[in-house]
Amino acid sequence: MDLQYAQNWLNDILNEVSIQFQKVPGSAIFLRYVKSSYQNDPVRSAVELFLVLFAIRYLLSPKYSTQKKSYVTLSDEACALPEIDELVDDWTPEPLVAPQTPFEEAENEKRPVIVGPTGPKSKLSNGRTVTNLASYNFYNLIANETLKEKAIQVLRTYGVGPCSPPGFYGTQDVHIKTEADIAAHLGASACIVYAQAFSTISSVIPAFSKRGDIIVADRAVNYAIRKGIQISRSTVRWYEHNDSEDMERVLEKVVREQRKKPLTRRFVVTEGLFENVGDMLDLPKTIELKLKYKFRLILDETWSFGVLGRTGRGITEHQNVDAAEVDMIIGSLAGPLCAGGGFCAGSDEIVEHQRISAAAYTFSAALPAMLATTASETLSMLQTNPEMLTSVRDNIKTMWAQLDPRSDWIRCTSSAENPIMILALKLEVVLSRKLSIADQEQLLQDIVDEVRQETSLPKLNADIRLQTLANGVMITRVKSMPRAINATTKDIGWELQPALKVCITSGLSRKEIERAGITIRHAVTKIMTRKR
Amino acid sequence: MNYGKKGSRRRRSSSLLYQEPPESMEHMSDQSALPNLNANWVNAKGAWAIHVVCIIGLKILFDIIPGVSQETSWTLVNITYMFASYLMFHWVRGVPFEFNAGAYDNLNMWEQIDNGDQYTPAKKFLLSVPIVLFLLSTHYTHYDLTYFTINFLAVLAVVIPKLPFVSWHAQNASKEI
Repeated sequence: MDLQYAQNWLNDILNEVSIQFQKVPGSAIFLRYVKSSYQNDPVRSAVELFLVLFAIRYLLSPKYSTQKKSYVTLSDEACALPEIDELVDDWTPEPLVAPQTPFEEAENEKRPVIVGPTGPKSKLSNGRTVTNLASYNFYNLIANETLKEKAIQVLRTYGVGPCSPPGFYGTQDVHIKTEADIAAHLGASACIVYAQAFSTISSVIPAFSKRGDIIVADRAVNYAIRKGIQISRSTVRWYEHNDSEDMERVLEKVVREQRKKPLTRRFVVTEGLFENVGDMLDLPKTIELKLKYKFRLILDETWSFGVLGRTGRGITEHQNVDAAEVDMIIGSLAGPLCAGGGFCAGSDEIVEHQRISAAAYTFSAALPAMLATTASETLSMLQTNPEMLTSVRDNIKTMWAQLDPRSDWIRCTSSAENPIMILALKLEVVLSRKLSIADQEQLLQDIVDEVRQETSLPKLNADIRLQTLANGVMITRVKSMPRAINATTKDIGWELQPALKVCITSGLSRKEIERAGITIRHAVTKIMTRKR
Repeated sequence: MNYGKKGSRRRRSSSLLYQEPPESMEHMSDQSALPNLNANWVNAKGAWAIHVVCIIGLKILFDIIPGVSQETSWTLVNITYMFASYLMFHWVRGVPFEFNAGAYDNLNMWEQIDNGDQYTPAKKFLLSVPIVLFLLSTHYTHYDLTYFTINFLAVLAVVIPKLPFVSWHAQNASKEI
């Protein structure tokens, strides 16, 4: 019968297999292992079998990558070469620099070029002399002969640059003295001098704040601070510009979120006088909040050191705060002090930490000796001669009187003590005319050009017109860098309003400032009322 | 700073199975700044043999303690190895060296090995070792139910976290705005 036959055949096969199996070396061990491991316990054997099968499956699985692929897979080894050539031919590189927009082209075409030394009155390459309200020459120290003489003396003794980072052989006695002078002037216990003002804050932040640490920052902080925050890789939370209530809300939220997590370093980063808006920080309130929520305060005094306070000690002096209350004060020696470089003042530990871990200090050549001595000189001038500051403040008042209350079109967002006047279009003007950011930029650029060209003031009497005839006024716009590559307003939730920048100097008399103010006001009116 | 990826990094803190959102440019460039010395040694010469050497060493160590039976000795070897490898590969995060600004702070060593690729030879080897050790130790404990249970739980503790779809990420993975 067929069935009988099949059974026999099956038995034969099985016999054959078992004979073959017993011939395989080690099969006896395997059988013994299986027999002994079975032990009348099928569940445990099943578990073991499952583990073995799982291991085999794992061993046989093909490798795969979890990284996002950033390369092209070629179809075949053999035809790879022509394929590569094809890909190379297809590739059109993006330009390193984007082509100029029409706006930038027009701006570059009209860009003024100063010939000869700069100062309150500067000569342009087109032959005209303009009143220069576009440089940070607040105390007109550029024209100071004593400073110049001293700088030349130091240059002859020390040479131009130290040609070495401070930690190597770049530190000279003048640097030590400048550091001591700044610390003494501020009332901080120690100070460290950097070679560039811009890179000071962008390397102080990453020296202290690392990945996983938390930075709470004002939305309007300047580009150097943004770069510093980005380099630090810290987690950043923004609060509304100069809004201490919103700051408190953010601080409280951070504290609440971090309660059960490992302790991290936490910082508040803000500016004394804001570079992009010009207004002033409420320092006592900020210090109260940072103490309450246990944050450290990194204060960028780039625009307020040498400007605010009776002797130019900055916002701490202006608002009667002990400088030791601020953990880190960062300032610039380049702007108002007419020297170069930047500094960070704080406790001894904070300063010593930076000497080995702040990138701009360790990896950049030290400040040239003559700039260090100039900074020391200027500081002692500020201390001994506070009238320097009052004369600038008088000029600021004069300019304010000409612009802010009297113009129908612009308002000054700067604080009343800030020699950098930031003039933005009034909100109602922007709203009623539905001006986009680009429209505002264009209008302001037109105003800048108009102010510089200004020769005739029809409304003024002949006497003043004669005096102003040769005098255009050079001002500029606020040119804040983009917040981040590819970041849009929507991402940030906040947009900086375009504005004009007018820098007041004590190198001009009250009359001249007044006239410059009138020129600006009339140019604004002319541009805003022109027919389109 | 990862501007404008609002909500992309949110996760349920308790879930075991979790797909990590793509890292930011800065994070990836920091990770690839230098070779990861913490994880690369598993592919070095002798790195596989050392597991066998350690296991034999442990066995000798437990055998020479007086009064320890063969069953206990094998179980001790098993759980010591499992505990040590769990600590090393799955518990400790980050790297002990400072060379990439903490870009690996959220990753344990298993996730760092071979840049997170799955089913690589090193990972296959590291998964096989505990399984083989488990089978050996159950065999030499003569299939006693108590020893079996202890050894089986120990092997599960190191095998499950090695599965490709499991990722025990830090709860405080840096959240950005």
